Amino acid sequence: MEISRRRFLGLVAAGAAVAASAPLLKGTLPATASERPKARYALVIDTTKCTGCGACIEACRLRNHLPEGISYIYRIVKGNNREPWFLMIQCQHCANPPCATVCPTNATYRREDGVVLIDERLCVGCKYCMQACPYQARVYDEERGVADKCWLCLPWVLGGGLPACVEACIPGARFFGRADDPNSEVSQLIASGRAQPLHPEFGTDPSILFYVIEAE
Amino acid sequence: MQTTWGWLPAIYLFLGGLGAGALMVAAIFEFFGERYQSDFCPTALVGATVPGPLVILGTILLIFDLGAGLREPWRIFYMFTHFSSVMTWGVWLLTFFIPVSLVYGFLEVLDTFPAARDWLRGRRWLHWTKFLWNLPLRRTKRVFAGIGLGLAIGVAIYTGILLSAVGPAIPFWSTPAFPGLHIPLMPFLFLASAFSTGESLTVDLMATLFVDGRIPRGRRVHLIHLAVITAEALLISHLLIHAFGEGGAAAEAARQIALGQHSLVFWVFVILLAIIFPFVGHLYAAGLGRHLKPSGISSGISILFSGLFLRYLILVGGIHAFL
Repeated sequence: MEISRRRFLGLVAAGAAVAASAPLLKGTLPATASERPKARYALVIDTTKCTGCGACIEACRLRNHLPEGISYIYRIVKGNNREPWFLMIQCQHCANPPCATVCPTNATYRREDGVVLIDERLCVGCKYCMQACPYQARVYDEERGVADKCWLCLPWVLGGGLPACVEACIPGARFFGRADDPNSEVSQLIASGRAQPLHPEFGTDPSILFYVIEAE
Repeated sequence: MQTTWGWLPAIYLFLGGLGAGALMVAAIFEFFGERYQSDFCPTALVGATVPGPLVILGTILLIFDLGAGLREPWRIFYMFTHFSSVMTWGVWLLTFFIPVSLVYGFLEVLDTFPAARDWLRGRRWLHWTKFLWNLPLRRTKRVFAGIGLGLAIGVAIYTGILLSAVGPAIPFWSTPAFPGLHIPLMPFLFLASAFSTGESLTVDLMATLFVDGRIPRGRRVHLIHLAVITAEALLISHLLIHAFGEGGAAAEAARQIALGQHSLVFWVFVILLAIIFPFVGHLYAAGLGRHLKPSGISSGISILFSGLFLRYLILVGGIHAFL
């Protein structure tokens, strides 16, 4: 079939217009099953059970082969001396991650399933993401000169396992599961309204980590 | 106190601001005709030639501050790619600012020293630059001064936007300029500080040293600098008052700067050296129409030093929001 140049250019233009409008249409059309992300993970930390023992911190350090004293999780002591309680902070895997916005090289990105990862081959080590993260969840890898953080032990999770912090938690304060499965423990905790994201006023919309915090 | 960014970033933010400010002054002298009141204008000469090398030095320091970028330098090119990041805007601004300011400085040297053109003619290996010195000199220079002025303003304010773009993570850096409006204050403060340091280098120091402070319309030039110093003082006080009122990490940052561990640096090296001392010096200069040697050199040096300390203080004041 012969296509005249004018017709060919017209087809190209029409194709470009459709391609350009596709992202606009995507939001309005109902998502088909194949478009839906395969899983939505959730990690709930019950601060009323957490004793602040730091087993999660150490387990995280060992699994990720981090040097002594460095971990993707750190502890904040809240309350008073008589009745302290503990906030274990790690990457909140925000739906609207400020670290990814400010990253000049696009090294930080968010997966379909909500997990925020760093592509270490792209990171230049400017540390801008460490400034922009309101949870201070990032650590700097001095050896390789790149930013590093919790990756939800993704290879273990994809293989059916658990993040190291959840496996190691002695008082059983950490619950991990799929938020897209309404029968899972984490879904029920989130549905009950007891588990809330940390500091929603930051506008980061943490989509994976939730905390159960009783009023002081 | 945040320790991620310390002295090294303070130095390159300062060098970028100084270079941008010096070029702004030179370009203003160019457009308002002060440059052409005499054959030799050290303000325009230094303001045009120094920004390129200063910003190159700052960029080299910036690259040294990158972890992986230093070890695997091709990664620096990825920094041109992500336009939602203010750092990417900055990399682009520097990429354009450096060549434009170098060409502007080159043309200013040709204009100031006519012998330079003869010297170039005798250097066969420099003949590839012919296209520059065969153009109508002043008109070309004016074009580069205009582009350079726009880029200089961009370089000066981008450092402020860079800090304020971290948003709620560091409330001190994202202090709004006007209550209720989402316009951050930092870009204005960095612009004022850049202009002030640039003018202290080109006017207070260079004009005083080389032409005995006799610059055309000196009274007006010093009054403008006086206004910039006043604006800086207002912005710093607004920043601290707002931070104290906001509470949390912002108030802690303001407390450390104004009352706590950094208060000596703040009151002596910023308020006394950047505001009060040069304010008096410029009041005197504006009344007289020119700087005398003591007032010009002392306020020039004090403003330059305090520009560095101001940036250092703002960087260490970047305390993360309390969780």
